[in-house]
Amino acid sequence: MSEMILSDMEEIKINTDVLVVGGGYTGLKAAKGISDSGYSVVLIESDTIIGGEKNPLSFIGIDVTAQDELKRLVDDVAADDAVNVLMNTRLVSAAGVPGDFTIRLATSDGDLEKKIGAIVVATNFSNKPLSGAYGLSLSDSVLTLSQLEYLLSGSDRDRLSNKTIAFMVGFAQEGDALVMERILSNVLAVESIGGCTTYVFAGNLKVASDGLERAYLESRDKGATYFKLKTMPTISPDGESISFIDPVLRKKMELSPDVIVIEEEILADEMNPLLAAILRIDVGPGGFLQTDNIHRFPVQSNREGIFVIGGTRDVQNIPTALMDVENAVLEINHLLKDGKIVVPKNKAVLDIGKCTFCITCYRLCPHGAIYWDNTNKPVISPVACQGCGICASDCPMDAIQIGNYSDAEIMDKIKSNGSAAPDDLRIVAFCCQNSAYEAGLMADAFQMETPANLQVIKVPCAGKVDLDYIMKAFVEGADGVLVMACHPGNCKSEKGNTYAEWRVVDAHRMLEETGLEKERLGFVTLASNMGIGFSSAVVDLENRLKALGTSPFNK
Amino acid sequence: MIVAERKPFEEIKALVKDFNRVLTVGCGTCVAVCLAGGEKEVGILNTELTIARKVDGNPIELGGVTVERQCDMEFLDELDGMIDQYDALISLACGAGIQFLAERFPDKPVLPGVNTTFIGANRDVGWYEEKCRACGNCCLGLTGGICPVTMCAKSLFNGPCGGTNHESCEISPDQPCAWHMIYERLSKQNRLDSIIEIFPPNDWLNTTPRTIVQPAYKERKAAR
Repeated sequence: MSEMILSDMEEIKINTDVLVVGGGYTGLKAAKGISDSGYSVVLIESDTIIGGEKNPLSFIGIDVTAQDELKRLVDDVAADDAVNVLMNTRLVSAAGVPGDFTIRLATSDGDLEKKIGAIVVATNFSNKPLSGAYGLSLSDSVLTLSQLEYLLSGSDRDRLSNKTIAFMVGFAQEGDALVMERILSNVLAVESIGGCTTYVFAGNLKVASDGLERAYLESRDKGATYFKLKTMPTISPDGESISFIDPVLRKKMELSPDVIVIEEEILADEMNPLLAAILRIDVGPGGFLQTDNIHRFPVQSNREGIFVIGGTRDVQNIPTALMDVENAVLEINHLLKDGKIVVPKNKAVLDIGKCTFCITCYRLCPHGAIYWDNTNKPVISPVACQGCGICASDCPMDAIQIGNYSDAEIMDKIKSNGSAAPDDLRIVAFCCQNSAYEAGLMADAFQMETPANLQVIKVPCAGKVDLDYIMKAFVEGADGVLVMACHPGNCKSEKGNTYAEWRVVDAHRMLEETGLEKERLGFVTLASNMGIGFSSAVVDLENRLKALGTSPFNK
Repeated sequence: MIVAERKPFEEIKALVKDFNRVLTVGCGTCVAVCLAGGEKEVGILNTELTIARKVDGNPIELGGVTVERQCDMEFLDELDGMIDQYDALISLACGAGIQFLAERFPDKPVLPGVNTTFIGANRDVGWYEEKCRACGNCCLGLTGGICPVTMCAKSLFNGPCGGTNHESCEISPDQPCAWHMIYERLSKQNRLDSIIEIFPPNDWLNTTPRTIVQPAYKERKAAR
């Protein structure tokens, strides 16, 4: 079977303006990069200034190079005619699809509607002080990491000279490499001030990131003392004394620092849930706007044309965030080209006559590829559609057909019985092309055991497996049916495997009602390299079927 | 929209037990939108019946067709010529559609495949909530857009009753008190004075079969 038929392509015109949400470091950098590629940019920032001067150190910390770069960026963006900066502005709605979004912005001068082609989301982290978890209140001698950074970057940094400074990290949270990176860069900065003595109390040292091991050793070489404790040391409520058992000397120790610096938790931007709802993109762990899914390459969201960069999608340090910016610029160039792009015509085709406009497809499309226009019928964007077929399998009127996987084509395959001997038990396996289908090819190539009359039907996603296909397969003489999907969290269309599993549960209920043994139907998740898993799943079903005997339709 | 749900399979199976050739007729409007009686559900019901009757050793021959709306006679015309091959019809339309289908083909047994449940709204895919009891005398203008006939267990036009329990109804802590919700909504809109207004008793005699002729078409009806 050929893949998408390339002759069925058409050229369409798209809008090439880009919206960048967030005027922080990554947002500015992205706006400049996209503008340098020749596209017009609308940059919106909810604050009254760009570059985040109000909270200058939340992301770039005390990295002087980054601070200088940020200042330069603010000037560059201001001087760039192709970047329209709107401050005091929020995104209110975003309808449509890549190449043709209609966004509404709430500005200080009222609402504004704009047409744009792509969206880059560049929100910032927020830092949550963890002093409460240490039983401390913030004061002149109890500082958060951000407060220390502010002090170190300012003119009164000498206030810290000849002081004893104790850092607390890894007791109030699991933490991550970025928290550690911030701690280490601050320890190094403090040590460069004359006469400072530095202690670091650490529950754990997360150094699994570029250069952190080196920074840790360097800080020790320069005189920092580390205490790796299993439990939080006892700190007096005024922060003036720290007592703990030194695990090396096995002695009770007491320390009276001049300043205690408390770790911070790095959290996703508070605006993220609202932005995700407006943009119809998935929210991942911790409120960051990218899910843990191997198919989400850097900066990709579940929707084509909407890119998530830097602190929007994950806890990241500056080099990674800058890599995100470059990736986003590449993606934008790749998507928007010169405003004319070639798209397949038959990825998903809607029969307007059959459509009853129930908007089930709109609600289920995991890629946000379906919208409706003023003709009051759904439109499936050929740019955004990934051809997974989730919409088609839930359409109550069977009004959507997927190129190469139409209902008629799949029914033909369900009906064809190959060249197997009549006595062999017939198994129909619906296999996702991203996992089980490949695993099946592997099982074949390595001559692993498979049933004699196994019919593999390739589907673009397990979410394409219609309840009707499963049930019809039994009517057409399948003794057993398997629905084979990607592992949880691995679905390219995010929820196709989940929908497939729910459908199998529903089909089990139906089979029970009809009196046909529900054990004839199975659901399995596989990865593409699991040839053995494929083989054992189909052989297991064959063994179950041997005990059940042939289906009534084959008698 | 009218919301229906598929009848339990056992019940449909029992309804068609004496028939060997059955046509299942779907409806492409409300019941398709609420995922109970469109083309997909016609196919699935037929497949289920085919399997069940095969397992029972009493095979059935089934046809399936979905018309635009069973509550408009004109759309039923397309079934002419198809009906003769069948002993009975299953309709997956709402009660109105089933009755029109039965009226249009009075010689054939027409059997319901769904239970027509309520007038409701669609919260998410496959999730519907009752919103209207078709009482024939809408009071939503006074009640902040929340229907007490539907949402209040006693269908009180002038509430709440003594059973309002903080935010819930006395029948269950999970059932919000309609009049509490109405109070909250009106309060936010600064329209609490409309809760004082007494809504007159409804004419419950209107529960006899009602006919509505829109004003612009009264002459047309009279001329028929």
